[in-house]
Amino acid sequence: MSFSLTNTMYPANHKTVFVLDHTPYFGISCENPIEFEFLKSRTPGFIPMNPISKSLWTSSVESAIEYCRIVWDLFPTGKLVRFIASDTVAHILNTWSPLQQNLTHIMNGMSLIGIPPPPVPLRSVGTPQDHTVLHGLRAAIEAISEPTDLQEKLKSSLDGQKILNKCRVICITSARDNDSMKRLEDIFLTVLNQQNKASATSDKSLSIDHCHLVIINTFPISIDSQVNNHPPKVLSPILTTEVHSIKAPHIPNKFSSIILDHYDLASTTVTGIPMKEEQNASSSANYDVEIFHVSSAHTAMLKGNASDSAAIRTIKDGLEYETTTLKWCTPRGVMGSELQNCTCMHRITPVDVNSRPSLCLINFLLNGRSVMLEMPRKAGGKITSHLLAAHGGEIFIHTLCTARSVLEDPPSISEGCGGRVTDYRIPDFGLLIKQNTLVPIKLKGNEDGGQPIQKMKTRLNRLTRYWPMTISSTLIFNLKNYFDPLPTLISKEKITDDETFQCKKVIYNLISLESKMEPLHPPNTGQRVKGQKREEQYKAMWNELETLIKNNLHSENHRGVYGCLLECHKFNFDEDKLGDKVELDDALNQLDNIGPGKNDQDVPRASVIRATTDSPMSPPPLASIAPPLSRAGLNRSGGIYHAQRTLLEIFASHEKGKSRPEFAGRQGDSLVWKLYPNLKTNDHGPREGMEVE
Amino acid sequence: MPTVILLDVSLSMTSPVQLKDGTETTRKHLAEIGINAFLDHLSVQSKLEFISLMAFSSLYEERCPFTRDYAAIKAELKNIDDYDKTCIETALHGVNQMVLGEWGNNSACQIIMVTDGSTGVGPKSLKDSLASLNQRSSKSTFPVPFTFPGKLHIICITPSSDLNFTKSKPLYQRLIDLTGYDGSILVPENLQTETSVTNLFQKLAEDMYTTFKGVLKCGNLESKVILSPAPVPYTRVTDFECHTRSISDLIDVCGFVSVGDVGSPMAVGRHLVLPAPTLGPGRQEGAAKNDADAADEDVGDEGRTASFCVLLHGALRVENMAALVSLGENWFGFIYSWADSKKKSNLMLTILTPGSDAVPWLGDLNNLGSSESFSPDQVGSFPVKPSEKRSYSQNGVVWIRQAGLQSDIQKILRHARKLPEKTQQFYKELNRLRKAAISLGFLDLLNGLAYIFDQECMQLPGSAHPDCALQLQHAAEVLRKTQNRDIKYVVVPLQTNYTNS
Repeated sequence: MSFSLTNTMYPANHKTVFVLDHTPYFGISCENPIEFEFLKSRTPGFIPMNPISKSLWTSSVESAIEYCRIVWDLFPTGKLVRFIASDTVAHILNTWSPLQQNLTHIMNGMSLIGIPPPPVPLRSVGTPQDHTVLHGLRAAIEAISEPTDLQEKLKSSLDGQKILNKCRVICITSARDNDSMKRLEDIFLTVLNQQNKASATSDKSLSIDHCHLVIINTFPISIDSQVNNHPPKVLSPILTTEVHSIKAPHIPNKFSSIILDHYDLASTTVTGIPMKEEQNASSSANYDVEIFHVSSAHTAMLKGNASDSAAIRTIKDGLEYETTTLKWCTPRGVMGSELQNCTCMHRITPVDVNSRPSLCLINFLLNGRSVMLEMPRKAGGKITSHLLAAHGGEIFIHTLCTARSVLEDPPSISEGCGGRVTDYRIPDFGLLIKQNTLVPIKLKGNEDGGQPIQKMKTRLNRLTRYWPMTISSTLIFNLKNYFDPLPTLISKEKITDDETFQCKKVIYNLISLESKMEPLHPPNTGQRVKGQKREEQYKAMWNELETLIKNNLHSENHRGVYGCLLECHKFNFDEDKLGDKVELDDALNQLDNIGPGKNDQDVPRASVIRATTDSPMSPPPLASIAPPLSRAGLNRSGGIYHAQRTLLEIFASHEKGKSRPEFAGRQGDSLVWKLYPNLKTNDHGPREGMEVE
Repeated sequence: MPTVILLDVSLSMTSPVQLKDGTETTRKHLAEIGINAFLDHLSVQSKLEFISLMAFSSLYEERCPFTRDYAAIKAELKNIDDYDKTCIETALHGVNQMVLGEWGNNSACQIIMVTDGSTGVGPKSLKDSLASLNQRSSKSTFPVPFTFPGKLHIICITPSSDLNFTKSKPLYQRLIDLTGYDGSILVPENLQTETSVTNLFQKLAEDMYTTFKGVLKCGNLESKVILSPAPVPYTRVTDFECHTRSISDLIDVCGFVSVGDVGSPMAVGRHLVLPAPTLGPGRQEGAAKNDADAADEDVGDEGRTASFCVLLHGALRVENMAALVSLGENWFGFIYSWADSKKKSNLMLTILTPGSDAVPWLGDLNNLGSSESFSPDQVGSFPVKPSEKRSYSQNGVVWIRQAGLQSDIQKILRHARKLPEKTQQFYKELNRLRKAAISLGFLDLLNGLAYIFDQECMQLPGSAHPDCALQLQHAAEVLRKTQNRDIKYVVVPLQTNYTNS
């Protein structure tokens, strides 16, 4: 749609192929002998050893592998790299399969290929073998027309809509001169076009929409190459090529700068890391460590203030890219105990992975500590701009919000709704939180019943069937000493017979206390609950207990407990109703409970009794009567105790509705019946309405 | 959310407008009246919004930094001179810079561009800018889409029949499309009355500052909430997909995670979760009509009615936990207690990037559950580790810099001098180096190392353990044998009389 999207979507870096020249020429030495300082200080009589130098092959392999190390550290998935070595044939080291996208696989493959074959003697017998990098390039083009798992998946999901197949080929070879380099590019383009023609008729392969060919022309340190560099050049709408002519030992440096472009990365140098000296452990010196990460980790900081950012960006010595220098800030106290305002988060990898300062920083982070990075400000002072931290063995750079917050001067929660209530059951809710702490679940192959997170929501639903928010709105949760473990057990999905017995025991105990006329004391105080007479206290207690258990009829055993309660304590709900001053809220709550689906658990108390005492032919209580429309809105705000209905409950209520007796007018012989017989009575309550014979 | 008023002060804004009542005014003056109306609306409805004023022609100038002091903006409006031609691209660069500097790249902002339908001439005109979109280098990027979530509204103080405007409209639309958010192009119904202009601005203010109302729910406990600032749709661009999504109005608690385990994941938005008044619609209307005293009383009532938000906040703070909430299909966030510098504590919602893989160290968020619901062998713990180790924890071999190779060899020699105690370590390091050398085709190194071992042997002091020499000779011998150059081959210590004793 917009230009930025076409730029960022379908990136070439999804598919990269390294083509490494494995012809005899690459067996020659770079002529860059490795110095062994520790051998120099030896006693006289020491016979100097022959200088050791890497071959062109070793140089190109280790550079390519380093490139992959960075890519796979930063992007564990989605950025794929393949390796092809080319001599008389193309040796394909790995496929696009994610299982083969790791350093171990590549290193093992390299050891099987071994060093380049020896040069063919000039006067060899038989047909000379054709050693060339072209075999590898051809194989590379075939490789990029193979879809990756991700492309395959998108192809099937987008049905018909085109996905762009862009890619990059990085070829390390050695050409004689500019002409032969030009020929190489031309042949590549020809093969690319041929491949696209073939792909057009094939179902399995993807046509290549664009390929970026990067040719590294390399040679030993003592040679001057006849091949010139050329910047990216559009050879065709589907091919852009560039050539870099570099001495073999310098390939890694070139790669560190081109990889930044290829993957949109940036470099950060963490400066001033205090480290104990190896020789002198008592003193410490400051070191720098350079890391790579996705460039957007810097966006806010660098674009926000031009003059500040200019001061911290420098070109790396001897390299072609910029690094941003941020200062190590020794962590104080326990970090990670609060959520930082992190606007951006990316994996990092050290540029020099085995150097001592890098290892020091890495181990510090992997051991669970985190480091803040500071950016100096021109105006004076400094600002904490980033956080380095390891999570699960991976190190991330978190970009912190350094900008002003739009949430400046927010009101405190105590100033808002519900803010003046002081008796929330916070410790009890804390307990609920602890009981519902999430952990990662390893799913077994044939797991049914949906995702764990959905199960979790069902669980929370069950545990909060009846959950008063404040101390003043509950009695039984304040009298834990009399009720434990009933509230905990009753909210379980299933309870054992033993647990059922424990619940019943609680009820029996309360019955006996009541009969002994003992007032209920909250734990740790000798005081009776203030302002309540014993009889009232017991009545409120029984009613609340009934609500609690009725809201938690999850199984047959739960129903057993409920049955026990009804048997033990005689509820006289009608009297309740008349005796109490009916407050508006209570009345609304009652109304809320009347309605389809609130059967079993949510039917108001009165009707439950009636349901058990009424004759079988009496109309079903309340369950099938829809709440008056005008009150529908009140349902939600009416109370916190009301269960959201599950699908099963809705279904059950409909089932129940069907068993409703026939309309009285159609039962008798006379087909005349007075409609709405109680229309003119004052009481419009549906419950009373149903009591008409 | 913060708003930038971007006022065109090019010469064309001074062109005269004949009003119905016969008086003559300018487009610029009408714009000024409109902006004043906009600010008046805010000062009643949304006092906490930050507004800034930027004037532009071929250059741009920040006239008022972001402020809640609307009077200051009004005063500044009166002091703006007229300049040359319109250049929208430059101005939008200025907007980018101003917003990034003030709010960073994560806060949603709105831009109201007040102009007159002419989009400039020649290079850097809007037409030219849009035509050259695809030929830009990384040094001269186009400012849109903005570097922050930015919505663009364009108000043209011009008759809607104006030919200039008809031509510019598609260009404006293109610009709005580029932002990725649904902005708008607005023209006064008729340019002959000031009211038509003020109405336009007021309407915009109403539309721009809508509040987000939703429900925060945890099982059967719930509370109506307002999110502040209101969340904006989020566009997620991955390598192969681009989706714009808005969060649902049901914020459903899925469970709880300790703040330490949550870490500090990337957030696409942070919003205060404020409990909403739960008054019935009838009462609310009544309250609005009543005088201030009655309104105060209502607030008092609200304060005393228990709210789940406050309960949740209190418990999360005490337990130092965060609640994982679902915000839509496969989209999650965290709710936790947050205190500003003044120790005013509040409930905060952090919106994660869409997708259940938003936090790598928590694993797939859909696969989180309670340990009580699953068998112990299925229950893992945080942090979730990736299946593969990263290179920095793998002890790999990198010899790109000579120091890397040197330190690997030195390590082997250090162990060699302490033979036989360090026999295991010596052979372990030797095999590591050998394997790497074979993989990289660096066979010279093996011969070189054999030579170094020979030398080492000759230099051994008299006090050295006899095993030292034997093991070094053995290692050198094995390294030289070409038939052993296979990574599967492992050099094992030589069994000596001394080792056994």
